[in-house]
Amino acid sequence: MTPLSWRRRAPDVPVRDLELVAVDLETTGLDPSSHEILSIGVVPVRRGVIELGGARQYAVRPSGPTGVGSSATVHGITDDEAAAAAPLAEILPQLLTDLEGRVLLAHHATIETGFLAAACRATSHEVPALTVVDTVRLQRRVLQRGRTRGHVADEELSLAAARRHFGLPRYRSHDALTDALACAELYLAQVAVLAGDHDLTLRALIR
Amino acid sequence: MDGELTEVAEFLAGHAPFRELSRPLLSALIRRSSVRYVRRGTRILSVGESHEVMYVLRSGAVDITDREGGLVERSDPGTSFGMSPLVERAPSRYDFTALEDSLLLVVPEDAFRDLCAQDPTFESFYTSAHAARLRRAVGVLHVAERGSAVLRTTLDDLVRRPPVAVSPTTSVRAAAQLMVRERVSSVLVLDGERLTGIVTDRDLRGRVVAVGRDTEEPVARIMTPHPATARGDELAFEALMEMVDRSIHHLPVLDATGQVIGLVSSTDLMRLEHNNPVYLVADLTAAQDVETLAELATRIPVILEQLVAEDASARDIGRVVTSLGDALERRLLTMAEEELGPPPVPYCWVVLGSQARHEQGLASDQDNALVLSDEARPEHDAYFAALAARVSGGLEACGYPRCPGEVMATNPRWRASRSTWREHFARWVETPEPKAVLNGSIFFDMRPLHGDVRLVEELRDEVLSRTRGADLFLAYLAQHAVARRPPIGFFRGLVLEKEGRHRDTLDLKTGGTAAVVELARVHALLSGLPEVNSQARLDAAVRAGSLSTELGAELQDALEFVAYLRLRHQGRAVRAGRAPDNFVDPADLTDFELRHLRDAFRIVRGAQQALGQRLPLGSLS
Repeated sequence: MTPLSWRRRAPDVPVRDLELVAVDLETTGLDPSSHEILSIGVVPVRRGVIELGGARQYAVRPSGPTGVGSSATVHGITDDEAAAAAPLAEILPQLLTDLEGRVLLAHHATIETGFLAAACRATSHEVPALTVVDTVRLQRRVLQRGRTRGHVADEELSLAAARRHFGLPRYRSHDALTDALACAELYLAQVAVLAGDHDLTLRALIR
Repeated sequence: MDGELTEVAEFLAGHAPFRELSRPLLSALIRRSSVRYVRRGTRILSVGESHEVMYVLRSGAVDITDREGGLVERSDPGTSFGMSPLVERAPSRYDFTALEDSLLLVVPEDAFRDLCAQDPTFESFYTSAHAARLRRAVGVLHVAERGSAVLRTTLDDLVRRPPVAVSPTTSVRAAAQLMVRERVSSVLVLDGERLTGIVTDRDLRGRVVAVGRDTEEPVARIMTPHPATARGDELAFEALMEMVDRSIHHLPVLDATGQVIGLVSSTDLMRLEHNNPVYLVADLTAAQDVETLAELATRIPVILEQLVAEDASARDIGRVVTSLGDALERRLLTMAEEELGPPPVPYCWVVLGSQARHEQGLASDQDNALVLSDEARPEHDAYFAALAARVSGGLEACGYPRCPGEVMATNPRWRASRSTWREHFARWVETPEPKAVLNGSIFFDMRPLHGDVRLVEELRDEVLSRTRGADLFLAYLAQHAVARRPPIGFFRGLVLEKEGRHRDTLDLKTGGTAAVVELARVHALLSGLPEVNSQARLDAAVRAGSLSTELGAELQDALEFVAYLRLRHQGRAVRAGRAPDNFVDPADLTDFELRHLRDAFRIVRGAQQALGQRLPLGSLS
């Protein structure tokens, strides 16, 4: 196994030079300690441009006996499909390579980081010290601008609502690759608005 | 495992030319593409820039404008743009600017070329889309695309429903009930198909309720008979001015055959989104003194410039500017009448030249005359002299210089009875002398502005019945028209060489607009056509067989193009604080405009030569 060098990105990198990877996971539930990853969507964002050629989707075979369970109603992945996929142990190294040297971008990123850490521990990989940009937090800041009380309702922060706010196309949700792309596009819109005429640095996005 | 970007694929598959692509080719294209986000106002690509990508608008809106700033296309999601550098292998011909925050799919050049090679229909889509955009760019040079909705709106566009009508024998009560039921403020009174009157809320109030009239009486007793009407193809703007002028609020609209197709109200017209000309007419009409009028008149160049900026056509701009001048002049006339008392005998104030033709620009001279009823006696002249002096002085105060040739009602010669006018015209037409014909030609562009219109209409009918077949008169007129040589030689070697452009200026009037105006006049008089506007004269001349359809259309295009450049030139001069003139520096024109100008001048020259062959000019010299 290749040792991966994880390093936090220097926080004063200009956002326009940033290399990120939008990641979305479809899982059997919300708890990384008991639920499993079924599908991983990965979309790279390099210097403000989404590179569609680098988009990846990994289907993951759950290891436990419970299979997909009732989560199929959310993401539509069936037990048969899940059973045909590769196990997480085979996929994780590729995913970690995709992430190497890049900022992890996700919508409500604690799910992604939580499951990723659990997956690393389960497969004896070092848990990477990732720099994370969360589009939920960026959206809260976008919406707080110009609001005197600064109150933002939770339902305004969903991926679909945030995209609607920017007039971005409507996507079907709960497909890992589509959601990762949706997150990446949302990020471009958010930084465009937050930056205005200024140059943002990574520090401004992770604070 | 790559996974398919279904949302992107389905989006593209919904739009040409991607709709026709096989799914594997489409997936491969997406894999080679990227996504960018641009803020509103971002210039994505500028004229003259080269680049190695094309774009597909994913969301938002992008404006495609030519180098003159004319809008070529407003892109909706799914529109491809920026391919002209790829198709032509040349720098971009257009500016691409995000009108809204926009998400763009970026297709690199090599992916585009590979697809063109693999799929000929894909390639032909782009080459033809490119050609179509180029054609639009040509057409858009002076075609309204934005802002000038009011100017383009005709009454047909405003008529929303068939008219609510009653017959003359309907009772007042039944008519009122119908109005309540239909929620309208007026009904038309139709005798069969024929419009005989109109009844409005105001009539019910004033002629029924207030006087205690029996509501079982027929509406014919209370209607306003023979109401003013308008044709469906009239511009809403003109109709509104007519209504303001007559203080009426409802106008029945007729089609070309005289059938009533509906009704427009002043509210319909005022609701149109517009900012200036209409309100200025209302202000002019309400002005109480010359100082106010003069102050208001300073807004006319501003409006003209705005219309040029909005890409209104020269023809429409001429109509608007003329209408403003008309309103101002009418107000001066009513003010003079208020001061001097009612006229001793009926009269008609006529406008001449460009104002008569609805082709007024900036710095037009005042050209006017008075046609008096034959009852006029020498002692009446003092009244009309005073009227003319007031109006002419007022016009001068408002920025319309006096006519250098004294073609004004202040000149006793042009303040004459109808029979004297008949003699003037008879002399010009029947025993012509070259100089007299030249000086008299302006009177053949005559339009009644105020007073008893019939005085002029009868005179005009008589004159037109004489001009047809008046060969010598027509030949003199044509000789003059043909003598206005377009400066074709000017273009020799000019189009491609930028050097020396600053040497000379181009006269857009003499061999351009004025030449077409004169050609149109000769053709109108040749066939005894009543039209006065040059474009309308050319139309009518084609219908009368005096001009071929092709040459007529070419002359119309030439006039529109040269007149537009002239108006734009004048608008720029006024903005720069200079006096507007007709001489444009070729350096201010694009190569495209210079080429078209040369074509326009060639068309004018061709039409002059055709006319010269038709009328015996040679024998005159």
